[in-house]
Amino acid sequence: MLRYTFKRILLAIPVVFFISFIVFYIIQLPPGDYVSTYAAQMAASGDNMTAAEMDQMREYLGLNGSVIEQYAVWIKKIALHGDFGFSFNYNKPVTEVIKQYMGLTLVVSLVTMVFHYVVAIPIGIYTAVKQYTAGDYIFSGISFIGMATPNFLLAIILMFLSYKWFGDPLLGLFSSEYVNAAWSMDKVMDMLKHMIIPVIVIGVAGTADLIRVMRGQMLDEMNKPNVVTARAKGLSTMKILFKYPTRAALNPIVSTFGWSLSSIFTGSTITAIVLNLPIQGPVMYNALLGQDMYLAGTWLLFMALLTVLGTLISDILLAWLDPKIRTEFRGS
Amino acid sequence: MKKSRILLALLIVISVIAAGCTNNNTAKPSASKTPAETKAVQETPVATNAGTGSKEAPVLATLVGESKLPPLAERLPSASDIMVEDVVDELGQYGGDWTMSWTGPGDKWAVGMPTEEALFRFNKEGTAIEPNVAKSYEVNADSTVFTIHLREGMKWSDGMPFTADDVLFYWEHMLTKETFGKKIYDAYYSVDPVTGEKALAEVKKVNDYTFTVTHKYPSVQFLERVAIDNKWFFAPAHFQKTILPEFVGEAKTAEIAKDWGFEDPKAFLVDTGYYFWLHQKIPTLRAWVATTDPNSDQFIMERNPYYWKTDSEGHQLPYMDRIVVTKIQDPSQGLLGTLAGDYNLKSFEAKDFTVLKENEAKGNYRVLLWTQPSWTSAGVQLNQTTEDLKLRQLFQDIRFREALSVGVDRNEVTEIVTNGLAEPIQASVPEGVFGYQEGWAQQWAQFDPDRANKLLDEIGLTKRDKDGFRTFPDGSDLTLTDIESSTNADTFLELLKKYYEDLGLKFNVKVVESGAFNDMKYANQVPMNTEAISVTNVAFRPDALVPLRVITPWFGQYGLYSETGGKEGVKPEGDVAQILDLWNQLKASSSKEDISRLANEIYKIHMKNQWQIGYAGPTPVPVAVSNNMRNVPEKLVMADETRGIGQAHPAQFYLKQ
Repeated sequence: MLRYTFKRILLAIPVVFFISFIVFYIIQLPPGDYVSTYAAQMAASGDNMTAAEMDQMREYLGLNGSVIEQYAVWIKKIALHGDFGFSFNYNKPVTEVIKQYMGLTLVVSLVTMVFHYVVAIPIGIYTAVKQYTAGDYIFSGISFIGMATPNFLLAIILMFLSYKWFGDPLLGLFSSEYVNAAWSMDKVMDMLKHMIIPVIVIGVAGTADLIRVMRGQMLDEMNKPNVVTARAKGLSTMKILFKYPTRAALNPIVSTFGWSLSSIFTGSTITAIVLNLPIQGPVMYNALLGQDMYLAGTWLLFMALLTVLGTLISDILLAWLDPKIRTEFRGS
Repeated sequence: MKKSRILLALLIVISVIAAGCTNNNTAKPSASKTPAETKAVQETPVATNAGTGSKEAPVLATLVGESKLPPLAERLPSASDIMVEDVVDELGQYGGDWTMSWTGPGDKWAVGMPTEEALFRFNKEGTAIEPNVAKSYEVNADSTVFTIHLREGMKWSDGMPFTADDVLFYWEHMLTKETFGKKIYDAYYSVDPVTGEKALAEVKKVNDYTFTVTHKYPSVQFLERVAIDNKWFFAPAHFQKTILPEFVGEAKTAEIAKDWGFEDPKAFLVDTGYYFWLHQKIPTLRAWVATTDPNSDQFIMERNPYYWKTDSEGHQLPYMDRIVVTKIQDPSQGLLGTLAGDYNLKSFEAKDFTVLKENEAKGNYRVLLWTQPSWTSAGVQLNQTTEDLKLRQLFQDIRFREALSVGVDRNEVTEIVTNGLAEPIQASVPEGVFGYQEGWAQQWAQFDPDRANKLLDEIGLTKRDKDGFRTFPDGSDLTLTDIESSTNADTFLELLKKYYEDLGLKFNVKVVESGAFNDMKYANQVPMNTEAISVTNVAFRPDALVPLRVITPWFGQYGLYSETGGKEGVKPEGDVAQILDLWNQLKASSSKEDISRLANEIYKIHMKNQWQIGYAGPTPVPVAVSNNMRNVPEKLVMADETRGIGQAHPAQFYLKQ
């Protein structure tokens, strides 16, 4: 298994590089570059740039070379100095920008994730055990609605209700007096209050998915011979339920666990924009839109890395959880 | 082994559930409780009445008490040189925050304009300049020598004296050296009336508080143009000396730039020389100075203890303690925040008017309707130099423009697009703004599809393709393409499509990202666009009406021709050439009467040609002001030239308790 892991990691390196190039190339594909976006932004506020000024700016930002040249410069700096480049939008090194948003992104993502596992797994088990009862229908119905409703729409509805009932749409993660305040109990409470909507919104969509997967798996597992045998031997229902089908049904959930690694670090994007959350998603979105390419490039490189890593973690977790898969590893 | 693993898994599940539960439990009660708390915090009075004797804000008085700040008299300019700002309604009270939103440091003008302190600013009507940072000025008889006096004892926000040296330094070491990415402003050149040759002005120091600007040729509008082009004709020399390469060397500047987080020294100098108000380390003359990183989620500016204006009773301004700017992702959040009472003074677009008005009582604010010198709120500009030669010929045909104009029902446009807030009139200079022409608003404004069709037939667009659309006389496809950088004009464009297609004209709308739009503008790929011309006076700022640079869609490549001195672009002919000619005469003229006359001529040519076709008059600008914010004028002309809300003199706004 160690050898397997090692091989997988080695293989991941070229994959990540390849992805980084593709990503860098795609970022540059749309017409215009950061300078044109910048000029447009300035023009919108009555501050016009001439073509000469724009050329001058391109030159000093190093945007004149071909994509390959620019990529080479960028990747060389990363490899040699660990320097990921510079965000034009923020006038800051890329790593600083990412650091600035990482904390809150992780908080939002992790709370959301906990929310959706805690809600989905028990409901999934419940709906499978009580198949075709009123409870099953209600939960299944809700989960289908959750799955089919776009997140941002749900966000807007909840914001509206919050404004209607409490007079505060709960935008952002903090009330304005706490944004720059030092951490305190009040600030945490304020943040928790503001996290209700994002957690519900981001959580529900994933939850719906998970409930369906869990329910389907459970239904498959519950009629397996081992379960029937256990029941025949007189084990208690709860014990059977948690010892056999639940454990097996967790497999697909665990195998997708690694994929959520990258989403933990980005947080959601559209919902975050709608709710004005100060997390990575919108930062990333703006970087792509404004062709702030080093920020966008670094970020996507990071995502690629996390996805590759996530898949690896999933595989290892799966091997840990499922003896059948473990045996396959040993065999190879 | 096996057991322990199951135990571990169980443990994780339990702890996860427990964590989830506690999260939910703590979150729920706070939801019902904290809104009230938040309100309370916002409403907590922060200030004492200014009338109680102290002439400065309590925050500053405390600092003076602790000897951390010199007393007020030492911070203000000498008594006779203090600028007394007239309050709009009444003397105010100290304290409170002006809360607003922006989309981040890219939106720098959102705080830049309201806090701007120009050497000369425009008067309330926006028709003439008045001294602001400068105390007074004298002009000689032929408008060549301008003597400008500064305020004695005035100080930068760090307490260093502000003198003529700061002006001279800016001129000699920044502006003429072009350190911050801007060319020397056009205002500093005077024009030889005979040859048209341009000569750069000379700036000389007379004494610590006086300097002169000398032009070779008469420059009647120098002060007005400086008030627009180069409002801050000064820079903190003591600070700039510590960063400019000329003083510390290229290497050191690069190092400082890195320290500040800038990759490139040039970008660093642009930001520190031009967008200085965003940086906490740079002293300014503004009423509020930056105290946080503009990239953070909340940008805060705090009162400048050395601010040089007082109210008529001698209370140092500003009244409000801070400007608190929250970063938002989408403009609608600015609206939502205002409805919820998070922002206490913010301007909006006309389309938000109904929502704002509906929630006026609930949000505890009032909606003021300010005006703008815009020509239209729903119109199109036809690029006179568009790439396709056949289309160009068509756009240059005045009959075609008339056909497009009379072929649309303005009553419907105003009702649907502007909620009836605008009048159903032609794109024209609004009454009360310089350049207003009798009858312009009604020109080609009557809905008359028959006449439109007749005009189009007359031009020769009689052939139709299989879908019934008109083609060029040679049978080739005729499509009008409108390029937009946002979806703001969607409703209007949909209506326009219907009317144009009724005339048999194929009409397409293409929305591109704003950066790409800008590039397309330079590449002459924007045949039509809905940008509205908005200008207070062409003589002050010619950009929209005179093709000097690539900016305004209607003149397209004519602008490039002027910008590159005839090397690229399309050579202006006919009326456009005449506009340029008038502009050159205007710049070289030696009396205000001549300037007014020539400027008026330019407007007349625009009226005759109607390059921008408007289907609705300008809309007002709704401004939502919280009910406890006072001294905000009921009426104001919002224009870039007069710095938007800045024209209302925010230093004298105050929050009533």
